[in-house]
Amino acid sequence: MTRLVCPFCGARELVEFEFHQTLPEPQAGAYARVYERVDHGQDSIEHWQHLGGCRAWLRVRRNPWTGDVRAVALEGSGT
Amino acid sequence: MAATGRYSAWSLIRARLSRGGYWRPLWSGRCLQPGYDVVVVGAGGHGLATAYHLARDHGIKRVAVLEQRLVGYGNVGRNTTIVRSNYLLPENHYFYEDSLRRWETLSRDLNYNVMYSPRGVVDLALSDADMANLARRGNAMRLAGIDAELLDRNAVARLVPALELQRARRFPIVGALVQRRGGTVRHDAVAWGFARAASALGVDIIEHCAVTGVRAAGGSATGMETTRGFVKAERIVFATAGHTGMIGAMLGVALPIETHLLQAMVTEPIKPLLDTVIVYVYPGHGETYICQSDRGGLVMGGHLDGFPSYTREGRWDRLEEVVQGAVDLLPRIGALKLLRQWAGTNDMTMDGSPIMDRLRYDNVFVNAGWCYGGFKAIPASGAAFATFVATGTAPDLIKAYRISRFASGHLLDERGAGPFPVRL
Repeated sequence: MTRLVCPFCGARELVEFEFHQTLPEPQAGAYARVYERVDHGQDSIEHWQHLGGCRAWLRVRRNPWTGDVRAVALEGSGT
Repeated sequence: MAATGRYSAWSLIRARLSRGGYWRPLWSGRCLQPGYDVVVVGAGGHGLATAYHLARDHGIKRVAVLEQRLVGYGNVGRNTTIVRSNYLLPENHYFYEDSLRRWETLSRDLNYNVMYSPRGVVDLALSDADMANLARRGNAMRLAGIDAELLDRNAVARLVPALELQRARRFPIVGALVQRRGGTVRHDAVAWGFARAASALGVDIIEHCAVTGVRAAGGSATGMETTRGFVKAERIVFATAGHTGMIGAMLGVALPIETHLLQAMVTEPIKPLLDTVIVYVYPGHGETYICQSDRGGLVMGGHLDGFPSYTREGRWDRLEEVVQGAVDLLPRIGALKLLRQWAGTNDMTMDGSPIMDRLRYDNVFVNAGWCYGGFKAIPASGAAFATFVATGTAPDLIKAYRISRFASGHLLDERGAGPFPVRL
């Protein structure tokens, strides 16, 4: 994983992006949201920001076990 | 003892005279037995040290260490070999001080030279605030009987003549905190030394044996499914820091751990230049820690890559940042080539301190969440965790590392950064 494809700017180097957090499971309670990480080997949904580019907040679907990036979408775009 | 007997000057002479055939493997190649009193998962530093102390201190005869790959393939061979006990919080500095004292005598205890080198760990200060912060940490250490010394700029220049202090910097180096008993240990020798000593006490070390599941009845685990079949176990120890998230997935437990990559790199070997460990955290950019190996290579590391990953690929901009820091401190190394770069996976807990506790079943123990501090913790962790596993009661030294601290609010937040696994 050396690049991410920003929906606005296209493929850019990883240095331009900042990882923010792995989104918790929708039903998770307060403790789980703050402290627990579910590590199930499948894709996780993460918030990233294109900090060194258009500064858009992104919703990235990625597998941390393999490093594969499945999808990058604009946060709030509903995709 | 498995093969070569006790190492000594005499054994060296005998080996020289016996024309080959004298040196034997460091640990026996006994294969997996159907059942054990304790099965340790992970033949890294912590797993091997725990097995060694279970056999030596608690007389537990049937112990096995299972390893998915090779002895020392994981983080025990991927760190930057630094040992120190310069922590602020009492729970941490007493624990790491216990570890540092054990490093001092480990070569003798194991009869294996781990090359402990107390060359001093120097944390550089770039501002008055840094100095105040380091003074506070140093004072906390000294109150606990741990050596710490605050240096001004001139003293830093005398201690580390190779450092470039004259160049105009936005954040000039104004001083440092040094722990002189801190230093480096040859990390591969630690894995091999513990494996050899454990094997000599009858511990089975099983390489290329991956655990695929835990079998349980009621509230207790009965054994483990492995790639070499089922193995019965009275007690199970997971010492797989870096991959504890995967163990959580196997047991169906969500852990307060995020898995991140940490890179290290080494230059081509040069003549002696640096006889201390330098830690350089520069505002707005990053971090570089650097020391010179006995072979002459400059070993460097820095921040985490910054996002969850198990891939063991490092990101290039981080590598660049670490090298920039090193060249800034030691401009004369700018022409050197990097020989190798690698990454290890780190269990990052939500407060930066480890977890040593039971997990899910009353006879399953997990030694995890070492963040960046795993290597230096090995001797203390092995001894204390073995006591925990053997007696069922956690010794005082590791009581604070229970997993329930996150829910009860008794966090050990060394950085004062709040409940985040990473702060860049």
